[in-house]
Amino acid sequence: MKKLIFVLVYSIAALSIFSVGKAAENEQLSIALSGQYASKITDASQKLEELNTAVKKTLLFNESDGSEKAREDIWRLSSDIKNSVSSLPLDNSFSTSWLNYLGRLGNYAKEATRAEDHTEYHKVMAQASKNLSTLADEWEVATVGMVNGRLSMDEWKNRLDSTEKGHDWAGMGTAVKQYTESDFPLTASESDSMKKKDLRDMADAKVSSEEAVDQFKRLFPSVSNEIIGVETSKPGSPYPFYHIRFAENQSIGYVDITEKGGHVLSFLSERPFGKKSLPFDDIQKNAEKFLKDAGYKDLVYEESRENNTAWHFVYVRVEPEYKAKVFSDVIHLKVAKDNGGIVGLDASEYIRKEKTAPQPIVKMDWKKFFHSNVTVAKEELAYVENDRLEQRLTHYLTVTVDENGEIGTYAVIIDTETSEVIKTEKLQ
Amino acid sequence: MKKLIIRIITVILLLGGVYATSPVQIGAFSSQVVTRGAAGDDVIELQSRLQYIGFYTGTIDGKFGYGTYWALRNFQAKYGLPIDGIAGTKTKKKLTDVSKYDEKFVKDNLNKGNKFTHYGGKPLSSQVAQGTGKKDTIQAPSKYSERDIQLMANAVYGEARGEPYDGQVAVAAVILNRVEHSEFPDSVGGVIFQPGAFTAVADGQIWLTPNERAKEAVLDAINGWDPSENAIYYFNPITATSKWIWSRPQIKKIGLHIFCS
Repeated sequence: MKKLIFVLVYSIAALSIFSVGKAAENEQLSIALSGQYASKITDASQKLEELNTAVKKTLLFNESDGSEKAREDIWRLSSDIKNSVSSLPLDNSFSTSWLNYLGRLGNYAKEATRAEDHTEYHKVMAQASKNLSTLADEWEVATVGMVNGRLSMDEWKNRLDSTEKGHDWAGMGTAVKQYTESDFPLTASESDSMKKKDLRDMADAKVSSEEAVDQFKRLFPSVSNEIIGVETSKPGSPYPFYHIRFAENQSIGYVDITEKGGHVLSFLSERPFGKKSLPFDDIQKNAEKFLKDAGYKDLVYEESRENNTAWHFVYVRVEPEYKAKVFSDVIHLKVAKDNGGIVGLDASEYIRKEKTAPQPIVKMDWKKFFHSNVTVAKEELAYVENDRLEQRLTHYLTVTVDENGEIGTYAVIIDTETSEVIKTEKLQ
Repeated sequence: MKKLIIRIITVILLLGGVYATSPVQIGAFSSQVVTRGAAGDDVIELQSRLQYIGFYTGTIDGKFGYGTYWALRNFQAKYGLPIDGIAGTKTKKKLTDVSKYDEKFVKDNLNKGNKFTHYGGKPLSSQVAQGTGKKDTIQAPSKYSERDIQLMANAVYGEARGEPYDGQVAVAAVILNRVEHSEFPDSVGGVIFQPGAFTAVADGQIWLTPNERAKEAVLDAINGWDPSENAIYYFNPITATSKWIWSRPQIKKIGLHIFCS
């Protein structure tokens, strides 16, 4: 009995010491984390003030040249605050609206150089400055407990769900959303882009689920005999589609087909893969035969990537006017290495065909345009989306440069009319 | 006896026929034509041999990218071969004739994740430096780094390892959709570690070692597949505690997850 009591007392003592140690460790971690968050909040608050000042500075000038530095500051500070805000535990609706507002504010300031009418800029930014001041005040109130150390992490989290006056996060989120809609409404290009994404421009007739299944069977006869379910998309989907699931032999997967027109959005099949590998040429021929048989006839091969079990192919649509590639209209194919079968198709971008407009092509002298050690290895025409979400005809150049004994390869994309460099990307 | 001789000749002819029509294997190279976008052992050998004779100065990583492509074209130009940047039978044969390949040295160092080169004319042992660990020979679109892919595989495994394959691809696609979306951070790491964004980050399951299926799912997502149909949120209706998530417009359900915009 004595021994038992002895063991029990020692066990309880050991457990208590362990618990106290753990609790202290957790508290230390919690304090350290609170410190980190407080620092991020302070940083965001300070930069919010600087941002508002930068916005006000740009309102001093009539010409965009005078406000160039301040506009650069707006772009930089809005990015910095975005980084701070995205690493803080905040209410979801507030955080998403706030990041969106900051992004649009920064982009508006950046794009202002192009605007010919500075009156419009003045009007928008004057309102944005007013809204920023209101928001800065609310932010100060909402975060005060965290910054002065009065709130623990648990209390902070509880407070996020609270709707008490002074820290109604959801209300702040709604306010910021309204500021975004009033200060920076969608541009025509953004609106077009959203319509395209939501397939709102597609005029095709509705197909039934049976017709969608027939389409699936026509395209993928080897896996479409055992369909285990056909569902329609949920009501919140911006475009209705049929979600068809199958399990045939060892292949399991799905295909999504639009209700409008019965177009394949995407198809993916999973199965155990063999170890042997067909020659690349055979695999590519299979991919191209599939595309031809499926009726995708205006595509050209762009690139391919080998991975453990399959090759991923990218095909790009070519428009007829300039024979230019349209990089927003692509089809992805996944082809199994062991038997060359199509195990994946994604045509969701291809079916949202971009409208491309004719555009002047100004002759460029690449020798003058690039540094003397740059070589233009390949030159093509392509439609590429710029920052303003406009489809622009471009010179799509593949250039090489000697980088300390290694050859660096870049894609340089230049507007054919304005010579604006839309994108420069390092190619691996 | 006559029959036996005829049989032997028939067998020899048959074997000869099979040999003549089968793809030619050059040295240790497989019979595959090696082209830009390829990955694996043939590319490792190609890069090592090109480096041995000074045409390739990049990292030997088993990924046939532009660096390897230009090196191969220069080699083809030097040896009077058709300049197409593709390692076919003739190119591989010439390369095998004029270079050496220490497969054990290269593979050992690749497996250890060491930094190394394979130049001829100086001892290989002097061309090795300690590395950071094993790296995959994964061919991915250039805008994603190996770290992005690894992080996404961790997130997919931590969040959706019991889900159907397309459910895992969809989770990876949601991460990518967020990176492109104006209301979220603009990097893979920023999206994954945004406080409160993913349960696997909060409960530490993100640090479990992902399996091949999760890695494959990430590869499909970064190569263009999005079974979520442009979703930026998903949740498990059985375990979700946030009321707010139910207010999001729902797109489709895969396995246990509902995907929303």
